[in-house]
Amino acid sequence: MNAMVENPDAKLALVIDDSAVNCKIMTTLLREEGYRVLSGNNGAVGVALYIEHLPDLVLMDIHMPVMDGYEAAKRIKSLSPNSLAPLIFITSLDTDEAFVEAIEAGGDGILTRPFSPEVFKAKIKSIQRISNLYTQVKTLQQEQQQDAELAEQIMSGVIEARNFALDRIGIKKQAAALFSGDIQLTALCPGGNVNVLLGDFTGHGLRSSIGAIPLSETFRVMTKKGFSLMEIIEQINRQLYELLPVDLFCCVCCVSISGHDRSAYVFNAGLPDTYVFNQEGKIKHKIESHHIPLGVMPNLLPQAQLQVYSVAEDDRVVLISDGILEARNDQGEMYGIQRFESAARQGFCHGDIPGKVFAAVNDFCQGRPQEDDISLIDIPCNGWQQALSGDDNAHNLAVSEMPDLHQDSEPSWHWQLSLTGQRLALVNPVPMAMGQIQEIEGNGEHWNNMYTILTELYVNALDHGVLRLNSELKNSAAGFAHYFMVRESRLKNLATGRIDISLSYHPLSSGGKMIITIVDDGQGFDLAAFYDHRLKNKHAGKDKVMLCGRGIELVHQLCEKLEYLERGNKVQATYVWAE
Amino acid sequence: MSIEKVISADNQNVSISIEDRFDFSLHQKFRESYADCDTNGTVFTLNLDKTSYMDSSALGMILLLKDHADKISGKVIINKPNETVNKILEIAQFHRLLTIEL
Repeated sequence: MNAMVENPDAKLALVIDDSAVNCKIMTTLLREEGYRVLSGNNGAVGVALYIEHLPDLVLMDIHMPVMDGYEAAKRIKSLSPNSLAPLIFITSLDTDEAFVEAIEAGGDGILTRPFSPEVFKAKIKSIQRISNLYTQVKTLQQEQQQDAELAEQIMSGVIEARNFALDRIGIKKQAAALFSGDIQLTALCPGGNVNVLLGDFTGHGLRSSIGAIPLSETFRVMTKKGFSLMEIIEQINRQLYELLPVDLFCCVCCVSISGHDRSAYVFNAGLPDTYVFNQEGKIKHKIESHHIPLGVMPNLLPQAQLQVYSVAEDDRVVLISDGILEARNDQGEMYGIQRFESAARQGFCHGDIPGKVFAAVNDFCQGRPQEDDISLIDIPCNGWQQALSGDDNAHNLAVSEMPDLHQDSEPSWHWQLSLTGQRLALVNPVPMAMGQIQEIEGNGEHWNNMYTILTELYVNALDHGVLRLNSELKNSAAGFAHYFMVRESRLKNLATGRIDISLSYHPLSSGGKMIITIVDDGQGFDLAAFYDHRLKNKHAGKDKVMLCGRGIELVHQLCEKLEYLERGNKVQATYVWAE
Repeated sequence: MSIEKVISADNQNVSISIEDRFDFSLHQKFRESYADCDTNGTVFTLNLDKTSYMDSSALGMILLLKDHADKISGKVIINKPNETVNKILEIAQFHRLLTIEL
């Protein structure tokens, strides 16, 4: 042994050769190259040393007693199939067979004796270069895996765990990569509607996920604040356009289900047809994409609008991403629309659309690797008003137990907004009013009712007061669609018109009172005549078909007092709540 | 899978043909096929009559081409997509963004 001090960080080489002289020569040469060196005199010793020390490089003789080089190499490589340590055979057998067998035993290279010290060192260097490259790739791969795991964690932990009503809305997905490019979101609107979004970002994996976090934040926050679905979609489009590179975008389908309206509002931008199944499992509507995906253009197309469908209590709305239709089997055949529709129908009858469809897709693909993310959302159309009406009962009970209503108390604040002409078409004042309330008074459950009251009264003032629309139109499904069309066109051409909104907040000893006043420049609304008309219809047994006028009834139930003043164009609602 | 490019003598028309599958594996080649074509007003024709399948990253690549064409006041025309490919273009409503010749 020479007196050279070994560097403990230096790479470790293992030399296995039954000739002590060969061992000595190679050890010396390797030390000159900066290696620490271990040596053994047969294959069995070599394997044991390998297990104990996990060297960075192995030099293996072929003909040795006890265990030969081929056998030792096979064992070493099978011990650590992904090991980064290269193994070089050193041999005097200069035949093709020896070369082939050496490589098949797991060798990464072969060096034939006799060789000069220069050739030996050059061989070590070249094999080490490849090994370093391998290490580098391995490290990068691990980093990528960690990034994908982190993104997946954020996705399921932060984005999806905050979804609403996961016990009622069926969401099923299967990602092609660890991290899916599909995103599924659900959120409850302050008025009791449920908003659902299925998004499919270009491609899959981490690359496709850049937009997922801002998209889900926008969707959730704007839904909670009471923005309309169209306003939410516009904002998501703008955001993705600014954020994503040109070739990345998101195919989106948004659905808002209103139990109160018995309607589904749908916006399909680039996803396959969205389905509405009726109570017998038959397809009632197929809603095709009518807009380019979000994030492609700075603004939505001028004619972009929600599509409205009337839905019955037992109907289900089903959204899918294209991965389902394009899933292939070994023959290269695609799963396709027909197979999907029949699986969904069967699923409907078994009460499990997502389960049945996924089982059928996986059956069809027979374990062929999945090319794209696949996902499905199944939304029931009933029951979304329950949470809200539960609140009403609590509210009524609390108010009746409150003796001191401080009728004459001064408002502790007052907020007012007047909108005229085109601004009525461009601005939605309800989220602004809600924003003011929450900024001053903080969050509270009772603001959900407040939102419903404001929305209903404002929409009435705009639709019937300013736009002079007749709500009787809404009494049939066809009329409903017509109503929305007329509304859109009148809004677009709106030049005159005015609505004043004001809020007065009165604190009570335990709770509070809000007086909402909305004035429009219309011809006025006759509440007495309205109730008279409804009563007549009810007696005639027509109450089931009354699709219009439920808004005002709902407000009436929620409020302490509801009055139409002046010529019926000024409405004042008093809402009281207990803490 | 291959890309073929033909440029007219006056550099005003660039024809790009894609055979078989149009997907992410063509990303690099597709970009290279038009990157040097910067004559003002160039019309890029994307021939898809031999394209059997297209995925969403191909839609992204078409948007890149459109972006490039817009920058040089040019234009993109999609030519003869088969039924499957046209269905994908239709779902993405790409006829609202560029000309599709059937």
